Amino acid sequence: MSAIDDLAGELARLPGIGKKTALRLTYHLLRQPKERGLRLARALEVLAERVHPCPVCHNPTESAECAICSDPRRDTSVICVVEQASDIGAIERSGEFRGVYHVLGGRLSPLDGVQPEDLTIGHLVRRATEPAGVVREVIVATNPSVEGEATAMYVQQKLASCGVRVTRIARGLPVGGDLEYADGVTIAQALNARRDMK
Amino acid sequence: MPLLQRFTALGFRNLAPLALDVPAHGLVIVGDNGHGKTNLLEAIAYLHAWRSVRGAGDIDLVGFGAAAFHLAASTGAGSEIRVGFERATRRKKVTVDGVPVNRLADALGALPSVTVSPRDVQLVIGPPSERRRLLDVLLALSSPSYLTALTEYRAALIRRNATIRTAGKHPDTGARAAAWEGTLATAGAALFVARRDWAERVRPRYAELCTLLGEREASALRYRSSADTSVPPDADQAAIRDALAGALERHRGQDMRRGTTRVGPHRDELELRLGGRLLRPFGSAGQHRSSALALRLLEFETLRERLRQEPLLLLDDPFAELDAERSRRVLELLLVRDQTQVILAVPKVSDVPAAFAHLARTRILEGTVTLMDAEGR
Repeated sequence: MSAIDDLAGELARLPGIGKKTALRLTYHLLRQPKERGLRLARALEVLAERVHPCPVCHNPTESAECAICSDPRRDTSVICVVEQASDIGAIERSGEFRGVYHVLGGRLSPLDGVQPEDLTIGHLVRRATEPAGVVREVIVATNPSVEGEATAMYVQQKLASCGVRVTRIARGLPVGGDLEYADGVTIAQALNARRDMK
Repeated sequence: MPLLQRFTALGFRNLAPLALDVPAHGLVIVGDNGHGKTNLLEAIAYLHAWRSVRGAGDIDLVGFGAAAFHLAASTGAGSEIRVGFERATRRKKVTVDGVPVNRLADALGALPSVTVSPRDVQLVIGPPSERRRLLDVLLALSSPSYLTALTEYRAALIRRNATIRTAGKHPDTGARAAAWEGTLATAGAALFVARRDWAERVRPRYAELCTLLGEREASALRYRSSADTSVPPDADQAAIRDALAGALERHRGQDMRRGTTRVGPHRDELELRLGGRLLRPFGSAGQHRSSALALRLLEFETLRERLRQEPLLLLDDPFAELDAERSRRVLELLLVRDQTQVILAVPKVSDVPAAFAHLARTRILEGTVTLMDAEGR
């Protein structure tokens, strides 16, 4: 197999990239100065060699611990549980959360064979309970899909007996949105989750 | 305002390419069996729920030798509804006024219709799933949150079932199954309440319709839960949710042994009774037909009320197998609605009741629809 086919084949395995795009990217790289291709290769090599899940929260990092876990200003008594590491970025952008994270590495999906032991739930339970009394709250921020909800339920059950407060993020209307343009389902859920004004 | 003004079909079952102008009151389609009457009604009804009312898969609707089917309707409100389904890619594309509809749920009831046909007797003598489907389509059309609950419920159900089938492999299968029960209970309670409330509300009307159709004994319909709970009949959604969660928990061990979830709205029943006896095993063929017709009329009335619009009435040889007296009564009930646009399909010109004599007539022959002249040729 030629080097061109080889690279195109590898690129085509990436999500969202088909055979045609893979070939186009390959030829594009061929037309670039040699240095650029080598830079990409080194970046990939570093990614594969040095990045590993943080031993505390499973967020990918090059250091011993990830930037969030090693930040002394973060509140380690509150853990926010997310499905994917990429969800951390979304929550961080809000600037609202000062606690730490736990990446599950997916969600329960019996149809795809994803069982609890394929996720980092056992580790989360140990983190939340050992040593006792350090963690006060676990916020479950899995996606509001059927599988995300079930994952949240399972996490809640596993933590129920540990004396840790377990909360679930709310669902409802987006801020700055227009009620007129919200879909009926979201409005219905926002209505169900309404609260008293104080 | 007439609902349907023009209907076109291409590549749908045995129908020849078709462009049909529909008068305000509707029209009559005359044709021998096997020439495509039912297919034409099925094509029009497809724009109601984006699937075959006969339960056929989309791929089976594509005509022999055709690559795709296309249906289009212009409505009296000035809307242009189109749907296409391609056999090779199995892709369905719906547009309303040229705008593609990404979620079919958003376009449910674009052309609301109710189909009345002799097959409706399955509603009464068929398995409970037939009656649940009637409720689901009807309630999903009138409330988006019902459809969401239904989608979530079904998704959680297959996942709980998949989980409990691994019972024995893991020590905590119970906890794994329980993870799905929150959604099952929440979505299930929404389904239960919507179905129960509908059944309670139409119950007097059902009895009345059955009487009008000639039943002498009292007819009753009731929504019956599969969960053996002692929930009061008018419990609110939160109480139902808790009851359902409790029932799922109690049945979990048994469910794990049997490999399937045995309580919840997917096992509930719309129970039909006549003179206190269950209609399905004890009713006569005529009684079954009356009940089925009453259910279709309820469907029509519910849609009209919730959509604030007269649905199109598609009558597929509705008088077949009915005696003269019953036919007369059915006709009376149907004719109360002079606002309604009706498309009536019958085998022979002589089958057209006098009350529908004013409707324009078309003939269908081997899938080709042609207008008939005043002499019926």
